[in-house]
Amino acid sequence: METLSDTPTSSQRPPAPKTFHRWFIALPFLVAIIWSVTGLNITLSRLIDAPGDAWSILRQMIPPAFGEVYERGAVGKIFESVYIAWIGTIIGAFASLPLAFLAAHNVAPIWIRSPIRQLFNSIRAVPELILAVILIPVTGLGAWAGTLAIGIHSIGTLGKWACESIEDIDEGPIEATKACGGKWVSGMRWGVLPQVMPVISSYWLFRFEINVRASAVLGMIGAGGVGSELVSQLSFRNFPAASAVLLMTMAVVLTIDTISAAVRRRIIKGAVSTDEESRTFEAITDLTGIRS
Amino acid sequence: MNDSTDTSERPVKPKPRARSFLIALVLLGLTFWAAFKVSFDLSTFWEVWSNPIWSKFWPIPWDWVLKKENTFDPLIETLQIAVASTLLGCLLALPVSFAMSSLTTPNKIVYFISKTVMNLVRAVPDLFWAKLLVTAIGIGAFAGAWSLSIFSLAVMVKLFSETVDAADPRPLEAARSSGARHLPAVKTGVLPTVFPSYVAYSLYIFELNIRASVVLGLVGAGGVGRVIETQRQFFRFDRILGLLIIIFGIVWVIEQISVSLRKRLV
Repeated sequence: METLSDTPTSSQRPPAPKTFHRWFIALPFLVAIIWSVTGLNITLSRLIDAPGDAWSILRQMIPPAFGEVYERGAVGKIFESVYIAWIGTIIGAFASLPLAFLAAHNVAPIWIRSPIRQLFNSIRAVPELILAVILIPVTGLGAWAGTLAIGIHSIGTLGKWACESIEDIDEGPIEATKACGGKWVSGMRWGVLPQVMPVISSYWLFRFEINVRASAVLGMIGAGGVGSELVSQLSFRNFPAASAVLLMTMAVVLTIDTISAAVRRRIIKGAVSTDEESRTFEAITDLTGIRS
Repeated sequence: MNDSTDTSERPVKPKPRARSFLIALVLLGLTFWAAFKVSFDLSTFWEVWSNPIWSKFWPIPWDWVLKKENTFDPLIETLQIAVASTLLGCLLALPVSFAMSSLTTPNKIVYFISKTVMNLVRAVPDLFWAKLLVTAIGIGAFAGAWSLSIFSLAVMVKLFSETVDAADPRPLEAARSSGARHLPAVKTGVLPTVFPSYVAYSLYIFELNIRASVVLGLVGAGGVGRVIETQRQFFRFDRILGLLIIIFGIVWVIEQISVSLRKRLV
């Protein structure tokens, strides 16, 4: 009862928390902004002209010259990009699957698993474009350099994802195979593989989506695919053709994304539940094709 | 008991459907066709060691690589591009993400337009943006920073709007029921709960941008990639190799710092 009579007096608004420390957080940001902007050679005239320049080029891009790029064989180039992505994904998938088994902590001993994890990490650290820069002198210009670059880079990501899904499994089936006298390999084949295959194959498809974008970019440095077409149209300042190439690429990318997403949903539905929440974070940013 | 031993035969393996066969056949055919088109050739791997090109990669001319104007000045430009575009992209992403989430969108039209535009922006690969902007506003770091800003905006918005979608709606409801208008309600009801993940995603975008800004120079958009491109035209692969070792050493260190910060946040 006493407490009740107390309430009216104590119902004052609590004092606002002190916000002074926020300035100390804001300060480094301010410094970062000023420092980074000084390096970009920004002059007032450039800043003012930039939107106008961009706008005038956008206006020249309409209408897109689909007929002209079609005659130049841009459709074949786009398909070449898709082929590069497809074969690259297959190389990555085939090479990464056995390695992933050797990298998972629940099925592989430490002396083999740590070097393979390091291999995955170091492969993932190098972007496809840089790999292609190194590979082009070895293989020569063309689609094969891009395919290898994408294939090698995919080993890193696909290996990491596959390894993580192997680590998430129910270990009962492995024990069951062991109890029947199965060797390590049979445990992997009959105890692990059936559990992880749906998830891993959907990762393959997902990587394929990313690789389509990556292979489009690879063409810009001569590693095959549609990028070279965009670069040459832009350097001729043939903007209607460039926008046609751009729109066709976007159409193909979005179509492949949609089909692949539908197939992935089919695969995962009814399969083992995946830890979708924790993966989306990394997985979706992977659409950048820069890293994963 | 006797019965059970009789019936314990192995069950018959289900037959694959004709449709599955067809799909497998089509995919296999497609794969062979694609392999043919990209001139699939694994002999690259065993011919590689006899390829004279390797002598071009070695030895690394460290005195050239370690010069300030060859490596470190362009590398600083790269970092500046990454920092500037992360700040701009993520700052713009905050309001756009709230417009793009069904929980906090002001109305259906804004929701639909922002979602469509962002999906289209994301369908264009980042280096295509860089090349477009280099053509439009000139070669250099300025174009690179713009293109990365656009691209990190599109990626950030996708990630963060999904976090906002999953936010607890009750504080927002409480704010609305006490009569708050839309913006104050979102600011006090949703922003505090999603802010840690906003910062974590921004750091992640920063990591992406650092990697992207390394390669931007290959299309003329400034940064250390420009040096790689120049040396590539001179066939100085030894210099490129040395550059790459330095670049990825530094990128790795920055990334480790960012990753450890993110781990503490989430």
